[in-house]
Amino acid sequence: MVTTVIALLFAGVAFIVWEQNSTRRTMTQDLSIQAEMIAENCKAALSFNDANDAEELLKSLHVKSSIVFGGIYNKNGDMFASYHNDNCYESHPARLDQNGYDSQNNKLLTVFQPIILEGETVGTVCLQSDWKPLYVMLRHNTNIIMAVLLFAAVAAYFISSKLQKIISGPILNLANIAKNISEKKDYTTRAKKETNDEIGLLINAFNEMLEQIQQRESELVDSKKQLEVRVEERTADLKIANKQLQKEVEERKKAEANQAALLEEIKGINQELKSFAYVVSHDLKAPLRGISTLAEWIATDYADKLDDEGKEQLRLLLNRVERMHKLIDGILQYSRIGRVHEEKSSVNLNELVKDVIEMVVPPSHITITVENKLPTIVSEPTRIAQVFQNLLSNAIKYMDKPKGIIKIICSEENKFWKFGVVDNGLGIEEKHFERIFQIFQTLSSHGGTDSTGIGLTVVKKIVETYGGKIWVESKLGVGSTFYFTLPKHETKVTEDEKLQTNIVS
Amino acid sequence: MKIRISILVVLVLSIAIVPIAGKVASNIEADSAANREYQVKAAFLYSFIKFVDWPAEDTVDVNQPIIIGVLGTDPFGNAFEPVKDTHVKGRKVNVERFKSLEDIKKDASQDVSLLRSQTDAIRKCHLLFICSSEKGHLSEIIESLKGASVLTISEMEDFVESRGMIELLMEEGKVRFEVNLSAAEKANLKIRSQLLRLAKKVVNENGSGPVSLGNGSRGAVLGMARN
Repeated sequence: MVTTVIALLFAGVAFIVWEQNSTRRTMTQDLSIQAEMIAENCKAALSFNDANDAEELLKSLHVKSSIVFGGIYNKNGDMFASYHNDNCYESHPARLDQNGYDSQNNKLLTVFQPIILEGETVGTVCLQSDWKPLYVMLRHNTNIIMAVLLFAAVAAYFISSKLQKIISGPILNLANIAKNISEKKDYTTRAKKETNDEIGLLINAFNEMLEQIQQRESELVDSKKQLEVRVEERTADLKIANKQLQKEVEERKKAEANQAALLEEIKGINQELKSFAYVVSHDLKAPLRGISTLAEWIATDYADKLDDEGKEQLRLLLNRVERMHKLIDGILQYSRIGRVHEEKSSVNLNELVKDVIEMVVPPSHITITVENKLPTIVSEPTRIAQVFQNLLSNAIKYMDKPKGIIKIICSEENKFWKFGVVDNGLGIEEKHFERIFQIFQTLSSHGGTDSTGIGLTVVKKIVETYGGKIWVESKLGVGSTFYFTLPKHETKVTEDEKLQTNIVS
Repeated sequence: MKIRISILVVLVLSIAIVPIAGKVASNIEADSAANREYQVKAAFLYSFIKFVDWPAEDTVDVNQPIIIGVLGTDPFGNAFEPVKDTHVKGRKVNVERFKSLEDIKKDASQDVSLLRSQTDAIRKCHLLFICSSEKGHLSEIIESLKGASVLTISEMEDFVESRGMIELLMEEGKVRFEVNLSAAEKANLKIRSQLLRLAKKVVNENGSGPVSLGNGSRGAVLGMARN
């Protein structure tokens, strides 16, 4: 209804404005025509200078009450004849120098019309009228518009209220139902279809939608229930698993504690053993020194009082003491391994082995050669030296051949270096292969050389400390080869060092 | 003494001059007033042409001038000067002066054809101003113009009563005129109602006798039903 009223208002206003313009134009036209007619009819009067006749002519203007003034001017612009309305209140142009019309002045409409006789302008007619007709028309139109507006508004009101019942009614009803459903979540309600038109279709669609919603709703409820059950189950499972885990964690903790305790114990024991070995050997060495010193004194001081047998026995005594000394040294050495650690450094084995060979002082009939190029490894130099030293001295010790050949070989395996000391000495029986690595185990040597029985044990310990292995291959009477491996990750060498060794070697 | 005498002479002369000057002035005034009157009348003649329709006028060649004839003792003098170059209805207007009828006759006594040619010439005029000098020969003149479409104008008294078409007269210092409509109709001339309206008196011998009018009221137009 508001729309209707506004639309009508706009239309009304537009109409009034248009009418105003139209009326203005019409009035101007009318007045212009009248001026033309007067101009036409007063030609003679002007030509013959008959002002009376002209005035009579102008008098006819009184017919139109809105015409306020009429004037005829001669060709000089002077007034020739004039007419005034009773209500005249404006001053009029006494002289003329205008053309056309002036319809914008809000008080008067002024029209000028030239009087042309035989192509020559002999004068001008000027008519002036007020805008009364315009105002009358305006009032009239406004009244009509208002009346129409009122009537239309009332009519619109009635029609719209009627329509509402037909159209908006069902829609509002539907909206209401929808709102109720949203609030109460009751999806069983349905809208009632009353008409078979578009509204009916809407209601049908609405109901269908509700069906779907209801279905979904029930499905949802079901799956929710199922989910809850499953969740329960899982939770129960999880709880059990959790309990078990907790148990395991506790047990592990206990085991770890145990382990730690054991480790401590072992460490302690180890430490005790080490210090025990060290202390014992030192304590054992002292008296030995005493014995040795005494034996020597006897040998020198009482040399003249002893016979050959006696001297021999003293010599043997000293030998035995010496041997005992070496044994204790060996034990000391053994105990030191694993106790005393030195700095790991990059060791060029070629150089190291060369040094070891010199230290070992091979007798002239024995040649020691290095068959392969030895690598540079990262390790404790002294220990590696010891390994080579022990193995080489063993090889020398058990050499029975007139020409002794000892070779040091090396080969690169995937993850470790394999070193070998090959000799053509006595050889070892297979049944002794394991035994010889045990502490204090010696085999009878050629020429009765004394062996402490510690050497190989030490070597084995060193090699195994580094994660390597040691074993022997031998044939009795032909020779033996002692192999040992050193893992490569111990022997990481930097690029620079590799380069150096390459250049050097 | 001589000086006093000369002064006296000058004084007398100057006194005498005044009335003379006055007379001359008034003469000049009178002359210029008369001049003005005839200038107006001359303009009227031109204007009459604008409001009168001659027969077969549409078919006339525009280059043919309109002829105003002045028959008799010309009172206009140089009154035609201001308007002599005016074109009316797109045509030039020539003013031709004719001698008085007496003189024409006198001339014609020696040469008969002269009368004939003059008469023809006069009949060829569109508008003929018959001067007051021809008062005695008026009917003769009117008679000789029978059949020709000549608009006769004069200042003579009772001109329109004597079958003259337009009579010029002075009223309160203004030039007015009277019209004999039936005379004009006889000569196939149509006088426009706008002009008739202005006439002081319109004589129409057709219908209900001479109709005399007031000061050019529109009622006159309504009275002239026929045209």
